Amino acid sequence: MSTLRCSDAFARRRALPPVLLILLIIMQSCSGEEKRPILRLALQTEPTTADPAHAVDYSSGMLVSLTHSNLVRFDGSGRIAPDLAVSWSVSADALTYVFSLGAAGFPDGTPLRAEDVVLSFRRLLDPATVSPRWWVLEPLRGAAAFHAGGTFDEGCLAAPDSATVVMTLGRPAAHFLSLLSMPAAAIVNSREAARLGRDYGRAPSGSGPWRISEWKEGEAVILGRNLYSADRGGNIEQIILKIFPETMTAIAEFEVGGLDILEIPRTELEIWRTAGAGLLRQEELRTSYIGLNNRKEPFTDVRVRRALNAAVDVETIIAKILFGAATRSRGSVPPVLKGGGTGPDLYPYDPDKARALLAEAGYADGFEMEIWQRENPEAGRILEAVQAYLAKVGVRARIVTREWSAFKQAIDQGTPDAFYLDWIADYPDAENFLMPLFHSSKTGGGGNRVSYADAGVDSMLELASMTGDADERARLYGAVEERVYEGAPWIFLWFPVKYEAVSPDIEGYRMPVIQTGVKFTDVSFRAR
Amino acid sequence: MLRFMANRLLLLVPILFGVVTITFFLMYVVPGDPVLSLAGERYDEETLEGMRRELGLDRPLFIQYLNYLGRLARFDLGRSFVTGRPVSESIAERFPRTLLLASSAMLLAVAGGVFAGMLSTWRRYDRLGRPLMALSLAGVSIPVFWLGLMLIYLFSIKLRLLPPSGFGGGSLRYLVLPALTLSFASMATIARVTRAGFMEAGSGDFVRTARAKGLAESSVMAKHVFRNALIPVVTIVGTDFGSYLSGSVLTETIFGWPGLGRYIVQAIMKRDFPVIQGSILFMAVLFVVVNLLVDVSYGLIDPRIRQRGA
Repeated sequence: MSTLRCSDAFARRRALPPVLLILLIIMQSCSGEEKRPILRLALQTEPTTADPAHAVDYSSGMLVSLTHSNLVRFDGSGRIAPDLAVSWSVSADALTYVFSLGAAGFPDGTPLRAEDVVLSFRRLLDPATVSPRWWVLEPLRGAAAFHAGGTFDEGCLAAPDSATVVMTLGRPAAHFLSLLSMPAAAIVNSREAARLGRDYGRAPSGSGPWRISEWKEGEAVILGRNLYSADRGGNIEQIILKIFPETMTAIAEFEVGGLDILEIPRTELEIWRTAGAGLLRQEELRTSYIGLNNRKEPFTDVRVRRALNAAVDVETIIAKILFGAATRSRGSVPPVLKGGGTGPDLYPYDPDKARALLAEAGYADGFEMEIWQRENPEAGRILEAVQAYLAKVGVRARIVTREWSAFKQAIDQGTPDAFYLDWIADYPDAENFLMPLFHSSKTGGGGNRVSYADAGVDSMLELASMTGDADERARLYGAVEERVYEGAPWIFLWFPVKYEAVSPDIEGYRMPVIQTGVKFTDVSFRAR
Repeated sequence: MLRFMANRLLLLVPILFGVVTITFFLMYVVPGDPVLSLAGERYDEETLEGMRRELGLDRPLFIQYLNYLGRLARFDLGRSFVTGRPVSESIAERFPRTLLLASSAMLLAVAGGVFAGMLSTWRRYDRLGRPLMALSLAGVSIPVFWLGLMLIYLFSIKLRLLPPSGFGGGSLRYLVLPALTLSFASMATIARVTRAGFMEAGSGDFVRTARAKGLAESSVMAKHVFRNALIPVVTIVGTDFGSYLSGSVLTETIFGWPGLGRYIVQAIMKRDFPVIQGSILFMAVLFVVVNLLVDVSYGLIDPRIRQRGA
């Protein structure tokens, strides 16, 4: 009987070669790979470049910060920490900065010298580089003039010896060290940068802990150790930045062990929480808002703007649409930063008050408006809820969806009545929210896309940026924040909260306050 | 046949000129500015002007067009505005991956579709034929996105048999799920068309004649029914394969497959003109060539078409 079964099965297998093929595939996939300390991370978009002068998107900024070093950097908590500079001093007039460099080297073994710092900064400012981030070094004396085509002020940036850099500012800038920590201010191997030109972005040579060992377009960027970096902690040999345009696929990859750290999309949070997964949590340096065009009727009237704030039940939207992954904002600066809004909620959900304010402003019957959004399913859900709340007070909002490029062009030109947008900080400082978002000189592409203009706010912001005393600075930013919040140039929404799941094989990883605050050199694979 | 092919290849010239011209001017008609994607969230007007100058976007439109034609005449597709990488390099890197996925999917679709179509014809009244046709109806209706995720859930997460995403250097186990997903709709259509073709050809006078003159049933099927039923299948293969070759955005996105489809969509999102123009030109050439091959294969399958063409 058993012989019969055997031959029967054999005959069947011969008759069905596809089954054999599938079995072969299965066997191939079951062959286990040797576990090496390779950290696998997900990126939603592929980095466009690893050139500090041209990196503007999140993925590129991350790649630059892993492959390059700065004079100073952010630590995991968002505080300024030494990087290439082991120490620094600032003159009493807050105009001269002197940095002493430690030992560091580029992946080809060339030691990093102070001249590289000077040439990197000069490269960033040079109009021929056409860097969209040249403004990071704007506080340097003569920087703007040089960028506009003038001669370079040699005195503002000097390397008296190979381990010292001296910089002179045109006016005090309390956030200057934060600016120096941004990816744009990373130090490049000046010889390689000059040799490669625009191609430097694909084959960078920085002194960061990692170097690009392979870039598989559309698939992954593989990083190996820079053996000459001063930062050699942890036991990770390689980082693979895998590109996952679809978040569900990234989740599947994490579940089968193909990723070590995964950002959990808000829509999936409930499932992960229910499953009892221990997630890491971090408030993002990011603010979500509906910008109201302060130059257009009826939004020129502060009562109308306040009415719209009172008309929308933000707390319910956070609970129902964002699954609680955000904190209601009371201003534009996250409360984790000094100067962030922590005062009372001026606009609790109150449709009656909204209707009264609208009537007072002469809009008892409401009005029609457009709210623009970029193509994004979550934004669509949020704006549909906002639309319904506004309808309850008589405001008939129409949602207009455009893809990113067209959306950005429109909001920079001040076309829409209102728009839904996020502002993500480049560095953890209240200045990075308030100055670009509300200073009148930044109207349009500078960040102030609602055309907010208040001379008092302008002068307070200018004063704060020159104030060295941290407490006084925080007080000034607090005052600006309060004044802007009262003026309601936006419908204030929330500060998003980010969640991550981490493989149990990983130890030492903490979610950083700002992405450039993590270099993965304090992360290790657990010994098995 | 050679003259037919030469004529068709000559037709490529006006077609490509039209594609090049329309694509070029269309880029400037749609809203959105390429330098805004490059500038990031915070910029000033001077920086934008500098970028436009560097990319040659500050010149009059007609001069830009002439420069573009001049570059094309030298077989230079230009460099991506966003990455600075030569477009031809990226296409050369990505196209073989797209070709691998498209060919595998097409092979699966034809093998599975023709087999299912034939089976459901022969056993159209029993318990096998009807479910097969119901399955093929589902195949035409199921969205690729949903199917891809379901396959990942089953084969990657639940059964742990196949990797959920990636290219894996083109290894077979990375190819199975995306190829299956991509092939499913074509497979279903081919199954339905094959069935219809077989039923129509099988009841034709020429088949009755073949049987009447005493040909064996296998010869009737192979020489008369099969060849006649195949013509519409070849048409589907041609159009579907042509579109697969230009990249299957959804399948590539779900499975993280680094092919042409995603490359083009990302370029459109960022208004990366050289990439859009270069890729569309490349796709147009491909489409024309694939359609030419389909026309040639008609002649090989059906001598009547060959004679008419001649």
